[in-house]
Amino acid sequence: MERAYLGIDVGSISTKGVVINDSNNILAEKYLWTEGNPIQAVKNLLNELKTQLNDNIKVKAVGTTGSARKLVGTILNAQAIKNEITAHAIGTTSLYPYVKTILEIGGQDSKIIIMDDGIVVDYAMNTLCAAGTGSFLSSQAKRLGIEVDEFGTYALKSSSPTKIAARCTVFAESDLVHKAQIGHKKEDIVAGLCKAVVNNYLNNVGKGKKIRVPIVFQGGVSKNIGVTKAFEESIGEKVIVDEHGHLMGCLGIAILARDSKCEQDFDFNIKDMKFETKGYECEKCSNNCEIIKVYRNEELIDYWGNKCDNGAQ
Amino acid sequence: MMKDKIKVGIPRGLLYFKHEVLWKTFFEELGCNVVVSPETNKENLNKGIHYSIDESCLSAKIYMGHVDWLRNKVDYVFVPRIASYSKQNQTCTKFFAMPDIVENTFKDIKILKYNLDIANGKTERAGFIKLGLSLNKNIVKVLFAYRKAKYKQLENERKQTKEQEDILEKTDKIKILIVAHSYNIYDKLIGFPVQDYLKKLNIEVIYADKASKDESIRASYKISKSLYWIYNQEILGAIELYKEKIDGIIFLTTFPCGPDSLVNDLCIRKIKNIPLSYILIDELQGEAGIHTRLESFVDIITARRLRLCL
Repeated sequence: MERAYLGIDVGSISTKGVVINDSNNILAEKYLWTEGNPIQAVKNLLNELKTQLNDNIKVKAVGTTGSARKLVGTILNAQAIKNEITAHAIGTTSLYPYVKTILEIGGQDSKIIIMDDGIVVDYAMNTLCAAGTGSFLSSQAKRLGIEVDEFGTYALKSSSPTKIAARCTVFAESDLVHKAQIGHKKEDIVAGLCKAVVNNYLNNVGKGKKIRVPIVFQGGVSKNIGVTKAFEESIGEKVIVDEHGHLMGCLGIAILARDSKCEQDFDFNIKDMKFETKGYECEKCSNNCEIIKVYRNEELIDYWGNKCDNGAQ
Repeated sequence: MMKDKIKVGIPRGLLYFKHEVLWKTFFEELGCNVVVSPETNKENLNKGIHYSIDESCLSAKIYMGHVDWLRNKVDYVFVPRIASYSKQNQTCTKFFAMPDIVENTFKDIKILKYNLDIANGKTERAGFIKLGLSLNKNIVKVLFAYRKAKYKQLENERKQTKEQEDILEKTDKIKILIVAHSYNIYDKLIGFPVQDYLKKLNIEVIYADKASKDESIRASYKISKSLYWIYNQEILGAIELYKEKIDGIIFLTTFPCGPDSLVNDLCIRKIKNIPLSYILIDELQGEAGIHTRLESFVDIITARRLRLCL
């Protein structure tokens, strides 16, 4: 029997999972779309991971991260539930122990993590606005009629990127339409968008931070070679993109689950159970908390969101 | 027959959190009944949004919600105008405008105010005398009430500063300084969830606004000599005063605060060697995003502290 640990990262756009062993080797991995339904996404993910594992591998601990970490952690009875910044830092340092700067752009969040000797010493995250993140790029790709996967290669074709105001998604959209109408080529606009994303990131999330090498770029947007190139041009240094860049969060949380030393045999059959959530606004006082209740096979297993005891039940 | 006591309503928002003792004591000494609106809840917020223009900051919107709560419950609502404390600085323009905004929004409300604007020769003492006289009180009584109120206010501030500095010396816990206006950090809807979550993570929360105001303003010159907004100077100086004793800084601000957006940005670029985080709260905020930011920030500080100890 080989001991293994499951890490799941459920983000706004995509759901990622890995199974690792005691020496951090990846035994199974999967990346799929969340599609607004984290529970179903996780069930599909478990199904895929299970087929990749042979029978003598036993999952001993589970960790969850990402924006749905609490919900999914509750359902899977996870040993470690941690924020994605910590999880990413741990995942990345397991592969790049000397990394100094982690640039990350996901579906809705973008962050910068500054490391020193394998420890996070500083970080910043986008505030209210999701401009310049993956969802911004995918909506612009749609508008331009190209697949988001082709975005990067399109950008590389350009020799003179168009200037686009990407400070705000709404303005960027109108600017983009305008630039297309006055005759800018599609590849120049795409390259301009990549550049705008990078400038926006460095000026907002990265402001005041010292970017030192080695630099690792990860998150869904790191798959876009146009953005990576724009980063290298702006910073003037090499930017590393790992082929597992999208898995760093779930790798990190799998490591955290293992290190928690709380072991419990994990049963993949959980994917066949019925989970339901119910969200409602509590009306017992004027706080009107948004309460979420989670049911497994119609039995309430957890709830949260209540500010006071009135909201409990 | 004894005349009924005058009922004075104070909205629990904005400068109430700074001047609570001064205001309450003054009115009570003059024999008024003071009614303070209850802690902010969603209803205050929704009412506040309804009665405010879009561009107003969240804190000012919430204030309007509190004013609304006091309608028909009191004889007067107390809405002072506080513009400047010296020729060199001023407060945010919403504090200039608040009496006018309230009077023009709620035609059925009678307001009480005083005008504090040193740059234009309007002192706090003169303002309070006028305020007391407008309630038909004897000037000797008014002066006495003001002196007592001022004394109690300053005494309370000194006590808070002392208590906090004792904690800074004694505790072994991780200490995070929250740089925020008092009307944000102590508001039940804005700052309380942040305080509460940090305490759950076993953090000692240190409040920038509890530092001695005079010392803090002087110390803020080390960060910048031209900050202009006195309320920002008062809280920023705490960073300089406490920097050796704290493990991290959180800037907490409401959307869209003009002074904070300029001043905090400047600080984020200037302050080195202390981890800092910036939390911006708006009327649509969910708690999940805040928890992610706070939890990861605490992780960083914990790891950093462990290493500094080695």
